[in-house]
Amino acid sequence: MKKLLATSVLAVALASVAALALEDGPFTADQARGGAASYAANCAGCHGARLQGAGEAPPLAGASFMAAWGNRTTEEFYNLIKTSMPYGNGNSLDAATYRSITAYVLTYNGAKAGNTALAGTEKTRIAAVADGKTPANLAQAPVPAAAREQPATSYPPGRFGLTVAGELKSYNPVTDAMLAKPADADWLMYRRNYQGWSHSPLGQITTANVKDLQLVWSWAMNDGGASQVTPIVHDGIMFLSNVANTVQALDAKTGELIWENRIGPAPTRAYGATRALALYGDKVFVPTTDAKLYGLDAKTGKIVWQTVIEDAKEGYSNTGGAIAIKGKVLVGLTYCNRYETKHCFISAYDADTGKVAWRFKTIALKGEPGGDTWNNLPDEFRQGAETWIAGTYDPELNTTYWGTAQSKPWTRLSRGSGIGATLYANSTLALDPDTGKLKWHYTHAPGENFDLDEVFERVLVDHDGSKDVLTIGKVGVLWKLNRVTGQYEDSAQTVFQNVYEKIDPRTGVPTYRKDVLEAKIGDWISSCPGPAGGHDWPATSYDPKTDLMVIPLHQSCVLMRAEPMEKKIGVGGNSASQKLFEMPGTDGNLGKLAAYNTKTMKAEWSFQQKAPFLTGVLTTGGGVGFVGDFDRRVRAFETATGRTLWQTRLPTSAQGHIVSFAVDGKQYIAIESGLGGGSPVGKPTTLLPDIHHPNNGNAIFVFALPEN
Amino acid sequence: MGLRLGGMAILALALAASQAAAESFETRLSPSPLTDGTRVNITGEGRALVTWDGNILSVSGNFQDLAGNATTAALYDGLGIGIPGPKAFDLSLTQDKSGMIWGSLQLTRRQLADLRAGHFYVQIDSEKAPDGNLHGWLLPPHPFPGEGVPVAGPGFLPQFDVSKK
Repeated sequence: MKKLLATSVLAVALASVAALALEDGPFTADQARGGAASYAANCAGCHGARLQGAGEAPPLAGASFMAAWGNRTTEEFYNLIKTSMPYGNGNSLDAATYRSITAYVLTYNGAKAGNTALAGTEKTRIAAVADGKTPANLAQAPVPAAAREQPATSYPPGRFGLTVAGELKSYNPVTDAMLAKPADADWLMYRRNYQGWSHSPLGQITTANVKDLQLVWSWAMNDGGASQVTPIVHDGIMFLSNVANTVQALDAKTGELIWENRIGPAPTRAYGATRALALYGDKVFVPTTDAKLYGLDAKTGKIVWQTVIEDAKEGYSNTGGAIAIKGKVLVGLTYCNRYETKHCFISAYDADTGKVAWRFKTIALKGEPGGDTWNNLPDEFRQGAETWIAGTYDPELNTTYWGTAQSKPWTRLSRGSGIGATLYANSTLALDPDTGKLKWHYTHAPGENFDLDEVFERVLVDHDGSKDVLTIGKVGVLWKLNRVTGQYEDSAQTVFQNVYEKIDPRTGVPTYRKDVLEAKIGDWISSCPGPAGGHDWPATSYDPKTDLMVIPLHQSCVLMRAEPMEKKIGVGGNSASQKLFEMPGTDGNLGKLAAYNTKTMKAEWSFQQKAPFLTGVLTTGGGVGFVGDFDRRVRAFETATGRTLWQTRLPTSAQGHIVSFAVDGKQYIAIESGLGGGSPVGKPTTLLPDIHHPNNGNAIFVFALPEN
Repeated sequence: MGLRLGGMAILALALAASQAAAESFETRLSPSPLTDGTRVNITGEGRALVTWDGNILSVSGNFQDLAGNATTAALYDGLGIGIPGPKAFDLSLTQDKSGMIWGSLQLTRRQLADLRAGHFYVQIDSEKAPDGNLHGWLLPPHPFPGEGVPVAGPGFLPQFDVSKK
């Protein structure tokens, strides 16, 4: 008893000493106070009003922050945010603002103000002045308005709703038959057809005349958030999604605006516009960044119904778009990377009413099939498996195919998931679209460790009676599965990778490197490719004439260090630090475009360039492909050979999904210039400082051949 | 005269045989792993070429545009392509912001195997970046045909190999 008492006294004394041991922070109270407002205006949109972290934005408070930053200096923290924040806009604020934000973050982590103003050059160890404990007055303070709704830089605040009223003269409702076999002139969904080909059969623009392409019209889009959109075209009307969940109907021939609905809210995080609207019947479906789904009247843009997919106040969002199947609208969900009792899911809604039809949870919980793949973690600590790219569909098999993202946090060590596969993360899911029932799953990267998603497009291709589904993820391996059974068929490496020692040629199961499996918290571990891929969201295109899949690829690597993640409800983030470097053997070329024969899985051609690609690829019936990049360049190339036939440059980075459509018998090519996003933009911003593009300029550009 | 010509022919043949036996590896030297915060100190670029003639490994290279003077250069034996490892050999260098690196080395059988497997990399440290300023993995020659110029097949695509360690 005496011993216990003595131990307790000693513990209290040690705790007191530890508390007393905190030195005054190298900043003033005035700096910290000013930093609160600056943080709310510039940082809270991604990192959260309580500095809790969300998405790719790590926590800036608490045990997770201290684990990542405790042994680093205030100078290092100041330099990092000054040179890289707000994300993609480093050095865009004045130095005093960066200093005050640093002071505020330190204060939020328990640091006490001192008498000397922060200069930014202090080599003060953060753990010497902060302990990660938020003072009660800050923890309970009301969230500043700016942190609740951060206005976009060029977005008029308060102007939401049907801001331009108008009506299409006529509108042919979109039927199941149209979606199953789209008219050549239309681009009715994300990748044009249910098979996910991103291919237009239009053949007016050919390898011989593409050099004559001219700009026909252009249209500035909302800035202030990431824009990676797909123009959807039906009967000469272009439906365009914009930042702030704005939808516009434009005359696709002239660019005249017909109606506009600024659904809102203004973007509060890095992602600002859905990648893909969907059409069905007489409606346009809009999954929004605040995790709602809207059904708009296609003729007028008026809201017919709206429904909540998940509560946005808890950080959930939709960026991946929607797909309409037999009277239902299917959507995914993202930002499921906080510890919560809830989990990510795919869901379906009645196209007429918005009523939920089913949900499929993408995390296997205890007691469920696959629930034993999480190292016995409690359910609330099983997160991730987001679906941030809309699925594809085989009408004959009545099966919809979706990819899932990795489990969260990123690394096995931070997750505590051991060697478990963490189902259904980084898998292909085959679902019944009527019921949401799982038909089969195949896990491409069991227990993934480096933010290497396998979430991207599932492309459906048939060969001699074999029904295949192909996909490629960030590790850069092109996978081919039997889409009836989910059995592994083949794979091909498209860029250098050092994550897997080998891939079993019979099952496709990869074996991780030994040093990955033996890593400890705090070790820097190499990953080639890094989190930008390999392949990322800029989608592939499949050309049925040549049986070639043209794949935009990215070549960079990281050293990644796992950080401990506090196991506490509400804590979020990915919990890893990164250092970037060029991929060996690439001579500094981050961009690679490669064409793979989907039957043989052999590369027919490839080329490299310094700038990585930020658009999906389009192939066309004229044998011409299109792709755009970080350096504002758009190339037209011969699909069969990769030979460049035409190029132009846009006002800022070419980004989004290139589409082709026809009006009155004339073929058009629509290309977006766009900004924002995660690693595909962030990595080249760091590694290619000599490539410049303006930090505004979301817009659409439409090209065609001259009249004669 | 005939004898002299014959002698030259034999010498030429010997040289050709020696060149045929030589193996070369090359790399672009690019910034060591960096963040936005450290990018200001980790700058520059260069190239390195190594040749193995069967007995001696000859290293030559150049670098330029460092933020501070180069301090050391070395060959490292990594765990695989793109995976750092321990230092194997010091190299000579110009201690300046731009300059040359060079060295002549003898390899063990295991080191030769590692070189051929792509495990070796060159690293240059500098005053501003003492833990690594430029680096590059030594791989077989892979000429770059130019921006956007297509080649048949996947292009230069090293295969990862960790079987040695």
